[in-house]
Amino acid sequence: MDIRFEQAEARFEGRTVVQPLTLSLTERRIGVIGLNGSGKTTFARMINGLVLPAAGLVTVNGFDTVKDGDKVRGQAGFIFQNPQNQIILPILKEDIALGLKSRKLSKAETDDAIDAVLARFGIAHLGERRAHELSGGELQLAALASVLVTRPDILIMDEPTNQLDLRNRGLVERTIHGLDENVIVISHDLGLIADFDRVLCFHEGRLADDGAPAEVIARYRELAA
Amino acid sequence: MKTLYVEGDTFLHRLSPRTKLLGLAVVSLVLFLIHSPAILSVAAALGGIVYASLRLGWRQSWLRLRPILLTIVVVALFTLVFNGWHDALIVVTRLTALAVFAAAVTATTSTGDFIDEITRLAMPLERLGLVRAADIGLSIGLVIRFVPEILGRYQAIRDAHRARGLKVRPLTLAVPLIILTLKNADEIAAAIDARGVRAQK
Repeated sequence: MDIRFEQAEARFEGRTVVQPLTLSLTERRIGVIGLNGSGKTTFARMINGLVLPAAGLVTVNGFDTVKDGDKVRGQAGFIFQNPQNQIILPILKEDIALGLKSRKLSKAETDDAIDAVLARFGIAHLGERRAHELSGGELQLAALASVLVTRPDILIMDEPTNQLDLRNRGLVERTIHGLDENVIVISHDLGLIADFDRVLCFHEGRLADDGAPAEVIARYRELAA
Repeated sequence: MKTLYVEGDTFLHRLSPRTKLLGLAVVSLVLFLIHSPAILSVAAALGGIVYASLRLGWRQSWLRLRPILLTIVVVALFTLVFNGWHDALIVVTRLTALAVFAAAVTATTSTGDFIDEITRLAMPLERLGLVRAADIGLSIGLVIRFVPEILGRYQAIRDAHRARGLKVRPLTLAVPLIILTLKNADEIAAAIDARGVRAQK
């Protein structure tokens, strides 16, 4: 994974929501923390190209998010805060197939890819189910399957354990820790990112802290107190 | 999100999506060429028989058809006021026939099949350089996906009114419904972009 921000900033309705940022991300598991409205979700969206820099440059594995949007999205998958919005089509298998359409695979190849990704997350039995029938944890796993079926190098997750009960939270946390992909997780669940390789802390649109999880989390607790 | 599709193994389920869509297109055209209330009534009855063959049950059928049937009643009332009872009768029977035939097609065709088939049907337009066929398929699929979602949101807003002891008024329902729907549409559009569904490969 090679993500670079070079004096990249994000503006929304004339307001700067991410101040000019220069940063290189190469670690396999990175956590992003910060108070509500601190700019962490916008920062994550800048990596996937959902938010384009108003100034500066963001590259993902060498691809510019402005010039090579499709290639960037092929490299970096994104899981939204509300997985209901992640699932575009009602039936899970159809939704996963939708993500593969631009790959021009044969029907057999598509079916094999869907079966493999459902089996990977232990949700093969949910393939024909409708998204609204799934529990919060199942829905989060379904969202993971729908994104990872296209084999991105990097997975960005925006508050993946938000609104989950204890059991589903445990299920999703175990799944995240077992992922082989590079992951960037935005979370208020500090336990989830405690053993990550690096943690970034945003505050009022600036990168306020960056380093090993234990130290950054301790300083964040003081900031939030 | 909920879906209009109902799993089953009826004759209509087994028909190919192309046959159903082309059949529906032909039926729609014929219905608009007919101006006899008697014949249109027979067509509406036939549509009712086709819909009943799905065995959804009275309650489920009513819940699914209620919004469109109420809309037809409103249109018919306007027609009655401005054009008289004969035209109103034509409007009621024609639109009811169309609604039940269309509802039968959407209940027996999954959204994915709709998208695939419409994309294939739009391919000639893509070859002429007029449109991207996949975009047409996706757009129509999203319309079908959003119908039950908007109805669900309408019910949630109505319940919120009741829970707070507020009288349900069209304006106080419509404004939050439109805002929430547009916000949700933005999020779905972001998901489509993030997942590279429209990527040029």
